[in-house]
Amino acid sequence: MNLQDKLNLYRIQPNEYDRICELLGRAPEGVEWAVFSALWSEHCSYKSSKVHLKKLFSQSERVLQSFGENAGIIDLGRGEKVAFKMESHNHPSFIEPYQGAATGVGGILRDIFTMGARPMALANYLCFGEPKAERMTELVRGVVGGIGGYGNCVGVPTLTGQTNFHESYNGNILVNAMAVGLFQEGDPICLSQATGVGNWVVYVGAKTGRDGVHGASMASESFDEDSESKRPTVQIGDPFYEKLLIESCLEVMKEGLVEAIQDMGAAGLTSSSFEMADKGNVGLTLNLDSVPLRDPTMTPEDILLSESQERMLLICKPEKFADIRAIFEKWGLDACAIGEVIADPVIRLMWRGETLSEMSPKMVVDNAPMYERPYNSWQPPQKTGKVSLSISNASEVLLNILNSVSGGSKEWVYRQYDQRVQSSTARDCSSPVGVSALPSGRALGMVLGCRPHLMRQSPYAGGVDSIVYPALELASKGFEPLAVTDCLNFGNPEKPEVMTEFVSSLAGMNEACAAIQTPIISGNVSFYNETLHKGVTPTPSTGLVGLRENLDNIPDSDLSCDGDIIFLLTFSPSQSTGLAGEMFSQKAQLNYDFDLSGFKSFLDGLRKVTSANCVRSTRVVGNFGLAYTLARMAIAGNRGAKIECDQDYFAEPLYQVVLTVSASQKDQAEQAMNSNSLRWQKIGFVIEEQLQWNDLKVDVAALKENYEGSWRKAFPRFP
Amino acid sequence: MKKVGILRFPGTNCDRDIWKSVELQSMQPEWIWYKQSFLPDNYDAYVIPGGFSYGDYLRSGALAALSPAMSCIKEAAKMGKPIFGICNGFQILCEAGLLPGALMRNEKGLFIDQWVNLKLENSSQWSPFSVGQIFKMPMAHADGRFFISEEGYKQLVDKGQIWLTYADNPNGSVGNIAGVMNEAGNVVGMMPHPDRALFSWMGSEDGLEFFQWQDASGVNQ
Repeated sequence: MNLQDKLNLYRIQPNEYDRICELLGRAPEGVEWAVFSALWSEHCSYKSSKVHLKKLFSQSERVLQSFGENAGIIDLGRGEKVAFKMESHNHPSFIEPYQGAATGVGGILRDIFTMGARPMALANYLCFGEPKAERMTELVRGVVGGIGGYGNCVGVPTLTGQTNFHESYNGNILVNAMAVGLFQEGDPICLSQATGVGNWVVYVGAKTGRDGVHGASMASESFDEDSESKRPTVQIGDPFYEKLLIESCLEVMKEGLVEAIQDMGAAGLTSSSFEMADKGNVGLTLNLDSVPLRDPTMTPEDILLSESQERMLLICKPEKFADIRAIFEKWGLDACAIGEVIADPVIRLMWRGETLSEMSPKMVVDNAPMYERPYNSWQPPQKTGKVSLSISNASEVLLNILNSVSGGSKEWVYRQYDQRVQSSTARDCSSPVGVSALPSGRALGMVLGCRPHLMRQSPYAGGVDSIVYPALELASKGFEPLAVTDCLNFGNPEKPEVMTEFVSSLAGMNEACAAIQTPIISGNVSFYNETLHKGVTPTPSTGLVGLRENLDNIPDSDLSCDGDIIFLLTFSPSQSTGLAGEMFSQKAQLNYDFDLSGFKSFLDGLRKVTSANCVRSTRVVGNFGLAYTLARMAIAGNRGAKIECDQDYFAEPLYQVVLTVSASQKDQAEQAMNSNSLRWQKIGFVIEEQLQWNDLKVDVAALKENYEGSWRKAFPRFP
Repeated sequence: MKKVGILRFPGTNCDRDIWKSVELQSMQPEWIWYKQSFLPDNYDAYVIPGGFSYGDYLRSGALAALSPAMSCIKEAAKMGKPIFGICNGFQILCEAGLLPGALMRNEKGLFIDQWVNLKLENSSQWSPFSVGQIFKMPMAHADGRFFISEEGYKQLVDKGQIWLTYADNPNGSVGNIAGVMNEAGNVVGMMPHPDRALFSWMGSEDGLEFFQWQDASGVNQ
């Protein structure tokens, strides 16, 4: 094979090859190609994003663990902590939707329990193309089936999610999964740095097969006409095995038998071993011929690059190995010693008594390329004055929106997910905020952010929104936002316009996080989301976690009692033509009249009001504006409303919140809003049967029928 | 304190939920690992939780039904011990031949998580006891369509073995059946989850009283 073919096969750039030769003092040989291919891939090395990620707001008093480990950890007080992280599985899911999505769930769960936390909740952020696009029916069905198939079987409830549709995802869907895990008092936090010369390297879990070989470098490349041929690089998941791995790993960690532990994710054994050794400043010998194999004809290179699922690498004292093995055996799993920690800071890869390679993990990991990819200068959006949509016949438009795939019910999706296993779900996927009960009796809230249509208008404003909108949703239910995880899905970073989107949206997110003092503690970057040179909408999805002191009187999200007063809280005059503007092909406008520095006090004020037991229901005014928000509340509670409010029906305010309060608690609520300096107006009250607002008059039954019929209309072939 | 044995198979995932439910009734839960053998009298009652025993790989509940612990459960059933299977536990009891019928793929072939209303058709040895009472609780399964031959169904009706029915059939179950009992009324199984309806913040507390029973002499436990 000539050099150029080799560089193509291992997806190494010529300049990177020169650097490798310089570091080694010679050309790479044998399995060294595989090691560099994996660890220097975009997926493992973050080479295009690292420069920018370093600037993220990532600290607060509650942060116990930030970037650098498998997941971030925050302290909830009272002996409770949570670990959480979000990750993409876009490329595998586009190639093979069921397995791609399933193994995305499996991978993110391993990141969580690897640290010693018991997985307690899942969420997923999905972006699909138009329903009529090629393969889209199969992709939607497969992805939802895969997420459900895996999550339901491992016994972790799915508490929230977001499903978007847009043509920019026709050739590259996004599948992002988030997991949250709980540490109770006394549960150890386990890290991944290898320590203790003479300690053993132990391999546990499923046998290694050929699946996923070259997966990490595949995920670091754009799609072409030939994506079908990449199917063999997609891993196959076994959630039953994962469940056994969760129980056994948590047991060995709790018994204190483990010195370090890391899951084998992207780039499998290579990345886990090199990273563990690098972090611990030690070396490892690895006997590749001791790795349990599914197929005995596998080569050392296959073994190093396999991304077979449900496998972990751990480091233990030799005398603890027997106890470890006994626990894994009880759960029906194998544990075998495949190497040893050595003082020499090298990874010595052995095969049938022969040394295949001896490289310093520091040299490989710390010298991974880091690029300052070019980007263009950019500006935050400006104040432009009032935004308006020219829409006549509001009643009909509202029904059309409810009957569209973007505005309609997503129940078909989430009812395939077990939302209540573990018996701690207080609010499920039908609520804007998923809520889980903590053992201490407090409530943990979870919500996802990023609205792609705002990203299309302004990556900066969209970046701000991907933090403050979910934060507002948490506060609207009485939760204090604590921390953020993100999954940055972008196109090809080698294109300056994509890098500009990346840099400006990250700036928006970062400024928003600093303004509300909510750090980003973990995340993942997914570049090269493009097919045939067409990139996706820049989509930095986020997951926020919040805390509430109690489980009682969490505001609902509906109109439920006739006579209840409806209030509208307003943060700023900012407004966008939003999704309705896109849907009805109107000129996109964004009036960005926004003072981020005032957002925290708005958030805190809202939270105080919504935890004061005087509010019945709340909903942040979101996609499609106020009319749609009220319609969703009407559908949920089977009640109507009489509204008087001088505002565009469908433009999207940044930001407003609807509150409903019983007539008897009106004074108390007004006082609470006043004392928290919130700007509010009374816009109406709850009535039976009809939503009435000027010329908009629709029966709740019609709202419901259109909302519930939307999915069937978009996907007539689904069961 | 009454002792309740909770069976655990590889892949059981509602075990800790049942533990909580039993504790809420001030009873002593204890794990029974599937490889374990025990005497029927070791425990006052037995619960087989939901989940995906053996990954549901052959057929839901089929492999678990052949385990050593299930042989002991069969003995306990013969002796009239109260035995309760929920979701995958119900599937296991059917596969083990301790309950009539079988649980098949839902009508539309999809997993369904939703709230359902259940009606108590006949009282068993397990609480609750008031026939006609309605209970709200969640279901979450892909293989929950109760199936039995026409003749078998007639027998269930005649012998009063239909325990619970759905108010609104979600999955195509024969006769809207959500739960059945054996002839003696000591072995019961249901697909929906009383273990997920224990507090009002969960959305319902109707499930709580399902974790009580009457002993053979009719005394409430």
